[in-house]
Amino acid sequence: MITYLDVLKGIHTGKICPEREFDLRVFAPKLKEALKACDIRYDPNDPIPADDGLADDLWKAAKDFYCDVGTYCLDTERVVKFGENEIAQTLKTAPREFTFGEGKERKTLSQRKPEDQTPPWCWLGAVGAAVSSEANLLSLVRGYAEIPVIDSLTSPALTSVDGARIVGGSPLEIYGAIRAVGLARQALIRAGKPGLPIMNCISTASSAIATIAASQPQFGLRPSDGWLCGTIAEMKVDYGVLSKGAYLLSWGANVCSETGPVLGGYAGGPEGTALVNTAYNILGTVIQKASYQLAFPIHYKFGCTTDRKILWGISLSSQAITRNSRLPLFVVGIAASGPMTEMVLYETAASVITAVASGAHIEGAGVCKNTHVDHFTPMEPGFAAEVAYAATGINRTFANELVRTLLSRYEEKLNNPPLGKKYQECYNVETGKPSEEYLRLYSKIKTELEDLGLEFKY
Amino acid sequence: MKLVTQEAIDGGIDPIEIIERGLTSGIAEVGAKFERMEAYLTDMMMSADAMKAGMSIVLTKVPRAKIRAKGAVVLGTVKGDIHEIGKNILSALMTAAGVDVLDVGSDVPASVFAQKAEEAGAIIIGASALMTTTLPGQKDIVDYLNSTGKRGKHSLLVGGGPTTPQWAEEIGADAYSETATEGVKLALRELERRRKEAN
Repeated sequence: MITYLDVLKGIHTGKICPEREFDLRVFAPKLKEALKACDIRYDPNDPIPADDGLADDLWKAAKDFYCDVGTYCLDTERVVKFGENEIAQTLKTAPREFTFGEGKERKTLSQRKPEDQTPPWCWLGAVGAAVSSEANLLSLVRGYAEIPVIDSLTSPALTSVDGARIVGGSPLEIYGAIRAVGLARQALIRAGKPGLPIMNCISTASSAIATIAASQPQFGLRPSDGWLCGTIAEMKVDYGVLSKGAYLLSWGANVCSETGPVLGGYAGGPEGTALVNTAYNILGTVIQKASYQLAFPIHYKFGCTTDRKILWGISLSSQAITRNSRLPLFVVGIAASGPMTEMVLYETAASVITAVASGAHIEGAGVCKNTHVDHFTPMEPGFAAEVAYAATGINRTFANELVRTLLSRYEEKLNNPPLGKKYQECYNVETGKPSEEYLRLYSKIKTELEDLGLEFKY
Repeated sequence: MKLVTQEAIDGGIDPIEIIERGLTSGIAEVGAKFERMEAYLTDMMMSADAMKAGMSIVLTKVPRAKIRAKGAVVLGTVKGDIHEIGKNILSALMTAAGVDVLDVGSDVPASVFAQKAEEAGAIIIGASALMTTTLPGQKDIVDYLNSTGKRGKHSLLVGGGPTTPQWAEEIGADAYSETATEGVKLALRELERRRKEAN
């Protein structure tokens, strides 16, 4: 079995390779070879394919591709690679279940399967998007905690501490990270869910030093939360992500392998994006010793995960992963449009139905491309959870019909999506209640989904 | 590409024609395919490498003054930020559009942007940031250029996920682009404006 120490040694002993050579002379041609070998073709008519054989072929191709390409370390400019048998053994003996949270909110996570009758793990909140004030953060987290089926929180990030703008990599980032986790935990305590795991630790920290500094238990976090360790596109790591891993694994914490292949980037088209997304799951087990993978294949131009090509890639790779891997998969939905628009609810529904029918758990709901400060509310993740429960157990053919219909209602606007309104414009920040206007809009879209045949459980 | 270019020169084809009808139009075609999502980033990067290889041969046969250059641009991702794909796409598309691009990589301090722009005679500095917490790196470039008295020499183009037109205006950047395609258009417009100004 490949250990974390083997990985840390490997980045100093692997083959030297300049980064551009890795991108153009290793990654790109090997990807083309792998795609040719498995002959997988994107079909715009079927955003959710229903072919187990296709999914298994993709898994095999991704495994062969990963064995061929390895993982690139930016700091040492070396490729760490392991033998096919070592990788196969590591995948076969990896843990199957992971526990998150404390007390009443403690829960075990394991892999679902396509069309699974078990509801997905609902990891709900802001998907790490930024808020302008501590008051907004507290109010939003309370709103997320009140979503009935929430299993874990994805907390917002702060942009400033006591008026000082947080600068990534600077000492202010450490202050910001400590403040943000303290506030999030405080809001969960106020909502009566003190043990709820925060699974995007720590949204305000991008550097390893800030993550490690803010992880001290007195600030509000625990090993049973979930800790984001982001890979670098494509198939790359650096000292930062591996240092986080070295600390977190020694602490017994749940490491999240965060992976975002870019459609149009090194991964190429939808087929390449699906294959690379699948290969990342293997990297998550072999290199990062992760407890879960958070996948967000993203469109290079639209900046969202709700485009037709992306949904196809998400669906097929999710089926490949959940049918063959032990490492639980979360798919994060990132809508292009913003709160208080019909489009954001259509996009959220399409993304959730795709993930759930394809076997994944969900993280939701990212909106407004996750890039506009305060442009998100508890309505979108709450709606995502309702759709997730409604979509549990539906077959892929029906899911495909639903998603095709939803796509027809928004995809032409992806190039210029409505940004909608800020949290404080569609919610009362003090009471945490949505406006009548947003409630009416939510009811309208929910009724439309019921008319399409989706049966809501609550 | 070096071999093909040398053959063209040996065959008596005018070096300017090799540049304009061969190398430049070839990479422009790959850029157009990228726009239609028929080609992807690695195709663009390999085409850019091929073009540079060809240019290295042609430039030995023709004085630089004869080449109708569009101008130079320095591109990078700001200090503290290691996200490169968006910047790499912009770099490849700009190269395809005939711009002389100097890519300074990621996690780049303001002083390096300024120094490289000075060395390359770049009119535009393009600075990308993908995280809310690394946006201040774009403002650092404005501050650095102001403090060294070089602000007027360079136009600053900012982009990346959390960047907005409001942010660009707040920090005093010259332009903001949401997408790589838009970034190329803005850069070409700005290079043309500066060229006319200089004449």
